[in-house]
Order: sequence, then C-alpha cells, then structure tokens
Amino acid sequence: MDKEFTPRIAAILCQWCSYTGADLAGTSRLQYPTSIIAMKVMCSSRVDPVLLLKAYLSGSDGVLLGGCHPGDCHYEVGNYHTRRRFAILKAVFDTLGLESARLKLSWISASEGPKFAQVANDYTEEIKKMGENPSKKKMFL
Amino acid sequence: MKAKIGIYVCECGPNIGETIDIPRVLETIPALEGYEDVELVPKSFGLLCSPAGKEYLAKEITDNGFTHLVVAACSPRDHNSTFIGVCKEAGLNPYLYKIINIREHCGWIIHDKEAATDKAIQYIRSGISRVLYQSELFERQLEITPDVLVIGGGIAGMEAALSLASHDRKVYLAEKTGELGGKAARFASLLPRQGRGADVIREKIKAVEENEHIRVHLNTELESSIGFLGNFEVVLAGNGDDEKTDLKVGAIIIATGYRMSDPGSFTGYEYADTDEVYSSLEIERMNGGEGIALRSGAKPASVALIHCVGRQEKGYCSRICCNYMMKIAGYFKKQSGATKVTEFFFDMCLPHKADQEFFDHSVGLGIDFKRVKEIGLSGTSVEFAETGGGKQKMDFDMVVLASAMEPSEDTEALAGLLEIDLDERGFFKEAHQTTDPVATSIDGIFVVGASQGPRGVSDSMLLAQATAGRIRCQLKPGGKIVPEVKVSEIMEAYCTGCRTCLEVCGYGAIYFDDQKGISIVNEAVCRGCGNCFGSCPSGALRTKHFTNKQLYREVTEALK
Ligand SMILES: Cc1cc2nc3c(=O)[nH]c(=O)nc-3n(C[C@H](O)[C@H](O)[C@H](O)COP(=O)(O)OP(=O)(O)OC[C@H]3O[C@@H](n4cnc5c(N)ncnc54)[C@H](O)[C@@H]3O)c2cc1C
Ligand code: SF4
Ligand code: SF4
Ligand code: FES
Repeated sequence: MDKEFTPRIAAILCQWCSYTGADLAGTSRLQYPTSIIAMKVMCSSRVDPVLLLKAYLSGSDGVLLGGCHPGDCHYEVGNYHTRRRFAILKAVFDTLGLESARLKLSWISASEGPKFAQVANDYTEEIKKMGENPSKKKMFL
Repeated sequence: MKAKIGIYVCECGPNIGETIDIPRVLETIPALEGYEDVELVPKSFGLLCSPAGKEYLAKEITDNGFTHLVVAACSPRDHNSTFIGVCKEAGLNPYLYKIINIREHCGWIIHDKEAATDKAIQYIRSGISRVLYQSELFERQLEITPDVLVIGGGIAGMEAALSLASHDRKVYLAEKTGELGGKAARFASLLPRQGRGADVIREKIKAVEENEHIRVHLNTELESSIGFLGNFEVVLAGNGDDEKTDLKVGAIIIATGYRMSDPGSFTGYEYADTDEVYSSLEIERMNGGEGIALRSGAKPASVALIHCVGRQEKGYCSRICCNYMMKIAGYFKKQSGATKVTEFFFDMCLPHKADQEFFDHSVGLGIDFKRVKEIGLSGTSVEFAETGGGKQKMDFDMVVLASAMEPSEDTEALAGLLEIDLDERGFFKEAHQTTDPVATSIDGIFVVGASQGPRGVSDSMLLAQATAGRIRCQLKPGGKIVPEVKVSEIMEAYCTGCRTCLEVCGYGAIYFDDQKGISIVNEAVCRGCGNCFGSCPSGALRTKHFTNKQLYREVTEALK
C-alpha cells in the first residue's frame, strides 16, 4: 500500500448539529486531516442509501454521515429514520461483499467540536488501514 | 446562454488571507477541467461582509452579469444570509448562489497552508459544479392573521391572552367549564409567598373579562382545526348547546392544564371512600371554603401529609408538590397551632430560589419532616420506614395525598385533533425540551402551563409570556410570512401512492389525494427536512435546493 495514501472521506452532515459541530472544530482551531470533505444537508434523514452509495462509487474511501444525537434532531424524529436506513445500507453492503466499514454514522451535536475532530481523526486512521476504496480502480457492481 | 460564474474569495482579514494561498486559488480556478463551456471569474476581496464588501459584491454581480455566484468565505451560519441579501439587491436569484466555508473547514483546521489551499480549491470546485445545477426558487409572501386562539382558561391561558391582546390583535379564549381561573382559582394562598393567593387569580380573571380585545368563550371546546402558522381555520363548539363558532387565527396556544392522578391506582394507597383520606386539591377546596374538617365536622388533631404519591409509577417528579404540601401544612397550623403535622417525603424538591427559605420556615412551624424509603396506608394509619430505619406505624386523624399531576383528560384527543405529539409521559411534547420549550411539532401551535408538564403558577405564567413573545415576533399585525422555500415536492408520475412518506413526515405536511391516488406535499407546512425523500421507495420525491443532481455533483466533484 502507498505510504503517502491520504484518504478522501465524504462527510455528509446535517446543518443543525453535525455541520455546526464541524464549524466549531474550526472555530476552536482543532486540527483534523484534510481527508474530510464536508457537505451539508437539511437533516440526516434526507440522506437516502443511494446518496451514500453514490459517494462510495465516486471513490470516497470512507463515507461519514453525521446527524444530531437521537432525540435532538431539529426535525424531531428524522435521525431515528436515518439510523434504520443506515443499518439497512450496511446490511446491503455486506450482502454484496462490499466493505461496510467504509460507511460510518456518527451523532455529533452543535457543541461537540472536539468530537467532530476526534471522529475525523479516528475514522481517517481506520480508513488508512483499510487502504484505497477498490471501486476507484474497477467497477464491480 | 453561457453560464458566467463569479467566484469571490474573502480574505476575512488574516483569517483566510494568511491561512490560504489566495493567489494560487485564483490562478487555479480558470484552469479547472470540465468547465470549458462556463465562464469562471475568480476574484478576491478583503472583507466581503463589510458594508464596502457588500457594495462591491453587488456591483460586481450587476456589472458582470453573473448567472451564478460562489462566495468562498466563512461558515454559512455567519454570513450566508448576508450574501443572500447582496444577491437579492443585485437582482440575482439567491438560490443560484452558494457559500463555501474555506475558513472553518480549511484555513482553521489545517496548519499546512499548501494543504489548506488544496482543500479550499477542492471545495470551491465542488461548489461551482453544484451551483450550476441549482435552480431559481421564489419566496412567496403569505398574508397572515395575527389573532390567536387560546384553549384553556387557567392561569397559563389567561396570562397568554393578556400578554397578547392589543388593539391590533384579538385573542379568543376557549374554556371548557363555566368559569375562568383553572385549579389555582380555588387556592387560599399561592406559593412562594403565603397570603395573597386567590386574589392574584381573581385579578387576572377580572383583567381578562375587562379586556376588550379578548373574547372569552365559556363552556366551549375545540371542534376542528386545519391550517398552519399565520392561517388556521378553527371551529369552536359549545359543550352545552349546539353553538358553533368559526374563527381564523394565526396561532393556537394550548393551556389545558393538568389533573390529579387517582391515588387509588398506586400500590399502597388503596383506601375506602369513607376513610379520612383526601387529595391535596380537596384540602385546597375545603380551606378555601368552610375550613378543613373531618367528615364528622371536627377539626383533625393529627395529619399526615404524604408526598410523591405515584412518582415511581409515573416516572416523573411533579415538581410543585413538596412546596404546596408545606403550604397546606401551614393551613393546618393556621387553623390550630396544636395540630400535629407530619410530612412524609422521599426526596425534597425545592427548585426555586425562595423554596429553601420556605422549607426552613416550615420546620420552624414545628412540622415534622420524615424522609422515607417506603410507605403504605391502611385507612389513616401510615406504615413507613425512614431512610436508615426499620418499619414503623403511626395513626392519624387525617391523611392528605399529593398524587402525581398528570395530563388533563382531553390531552390525547386534542393532540389527535391538532396532529401534535405527546411525550412518553402523556403531556404535550415541546418542539425541543432544551432549546424550544413552548413550540410544538406544528409551527404556530404552542403549549404553555401545566399541560406541558407539572409546574407551578409562576412557571406556567413564564411559559405563557414566552409564547406571547414568540407569537408577537412571528405574527406581526399587517405582516406577512415567508414559508420555507427549500421544500419537498412529489412527482406525480412516479408516486405509487404507498403513503410511506405520510408516515414519516413529522409535520403532517403530506396528504393523500384520493382521486389521483397519490400523495401531495403541502408546501406551506413542509419544513424541508427531506425525511420523506429518504423514505420514498419510488424515487417520487424531490427536495428543492437539495436535489439528487445537486448533491451528486457536489459529492463527485469534491472527490475528484
Ligand atoms: C393542591 C395543589 C396546590 C397548589 N398550589 C400551588 C401554589 O401555591 N403555587 C403554585 O404556583 N402552584 C400551585 N399548584 C400548581 C397549580 O395548580 C398549577 O401550576 C396551575 O394551576 C397551572 O395552571 P394551568 O393554567 O396550566 O392549568 P389549570 O389550572 O389546570 O387550568 C387549565 C384550564 O383549562 C381548562 N381546560 C381543560 N381542558 C380543556 C379543553 N379541552 N378545552 C378548553 N378548556 C380546557 C380547564 O377547565 C382549566 O380551566 C398547586 C397544585 C395543587 C394540586
Ligand atoms: S413514499 Fe413516494 S411513492 Fe409512496 S406515497 Fe410518498 S411520494 Fe408516493
Ligand atoms: S421534507 Fe420533511 S416536512 Fe417536508 S414533507 Fe418531507 S418529511 Fe414532511
Ligand atoms: S437535523 Fe440533525 S439529524 Fe435531523
């Protein structure tokens, strides 16, 4: 494996909690790897499995989905639905023989800048160990 | 027409200027691959959010005739709305613009300037590609009525009505019974100060009755309600007659209060009707009337006051009982200083700043406080074990129970009618416990007083006043509201009518069209969360400004 491998991780974040948490990581000048590429949606419940799959197939070495903590979704129950949809997608990944570890769901509140940085750091390390997303090289679906 | 995109990088003083190599960003953009058909105009400016910056940007938009705009600056939370304003002023539809956060998400998190610059370019490229797929959206202004319906004429409802009524805002107050005031109208004294009790409530009742901008409907309940913030159509129905009143209101406040749970339903408190066992509310009534007496008419010589009845079973503390039980102890002492009063409690709840003082005062009156770990009744004999002690038994002339406050009897029906949620304890559920305690899941419907959870008079009034403030800001007389534009829509051709989206929408924003056999989004109610999108098995949903195309472009470009 390439020693210099810097993963790319698409981070799809809800605008109320997790995106704000990411902002706070910045405001607090916390350092986290360049691997994380943040994208904003209204609520994590907007994110259907296909969008995550799209990120994966576009070569994202890891896909991070961020939402508010359970019970804290700005739209009340959105993230409970997210949680279920995410679980299904993981199962689908496993069934297809894809690496479901390349998908991660994390609850990060608006005040959890340090947690965001932590998740970004840890997940980047994890993905580094896994190496590059194989779908970058070949389509196998 | 060939797209012409303005890309403005803000230096944000040293914040971006020193953390990102802006000249390199500006050099790289025109050379981006895949945008040969698009004119890209990258520039930078010192402080785009300053008055000079805004003026500059607006002029640039008009002079250059940009079709789209990308601003690479700070967090959208800081200045998205600033630049939306600039777009509007310059005549560019703000939905053709996007802010890219290269400060919090690049400059501030990466020490290495080169790496931060690479990342900024990556973000900007993804923003350019997204903005090309964005479409114009148009905000609509809706007329509103500032008038308000309050359901429930207890202290909370009356306070809300009084705080809202004015020459340009009518308040309709629907009370189920024949009189205003709620439970507290019968209390001889009101915490935290003994003394002036019912007077306070009576004054409020008078103020409500005399207020020409409040219309009180007694013996009246809500029959139906449809609509949304600014525009509800409601029907009130008399509960003794067939009288119906149709109203148009902009907001609805629920203030239906609480009721006492039946102590008999909790283990250890099974007693007969003939026993000298009373609920706290009955004592308040007696005290406000003939005085507190046994069935024989004699005054009790010894009384047990038992707190926390049903707290375990209900799973919550009723918050006000410890305080009012001390008040009731005071009633007995006032009636006869010789009365032996014993209070049994599990935990003493003294949440307000004057409560500790009140407790010390009660101890001073000679009231015996016993902290117990278990307790049970057999008639008026109390069997208990103090913390750290064994079982004991004491006989009393009278027993008073503070049983848990529970949601009032119509709560469930009302929630169904208004399509709002209840919490696990059966009270009306606030939009957010911590950050949005008076709103509900439906915009324009608020909940105040004890109908939202057990609380005392002052806290009930506090919520009422807070709600009034919210409504005054949201529904200004003569004003208009702009509903969310980034809403969802259902594409008729794809919808199979499975109704999954109806199930997941927490706002009742989707309805089913029986004739067409499909679901339809009510855009005035939709908040744009996109949960319905995530649920639709047929791909029939579209979330405006967060369409698949836009998000796919954003993600694929960012990953290039
Ligand atoms: C024994 C006892 C002593 C207390 N002492 C104190 C004290 O000293 N100080 C203190 O701060 N608090 C005290 N409290 C708490 C106090 O009673 C409440 O805080 C207060 O009554 C809450 O006011 P509310 O308006 O929310 O509810 P409520 O007083 O319950 O009023 C609700 C009103 O809504 C009406 N209503 C109900 N359903 C409908 C419907 N479907 N349609 C239309 N109208 C409806 C009811 O008829 C009633 O008029 C005490 C409570 C008890 C039990
Ligand atoms: S979930 Fe999709 S297909 Fe089903 S009713 Fe809603 S829009 Fe139509
Ligand atoms: S976007 Fe949210 S609020 Fe709007 S219809 Fe869908 S689920 Fe309901
Ligand atoms: S708004 Fe954050 S998960 Fe729904």
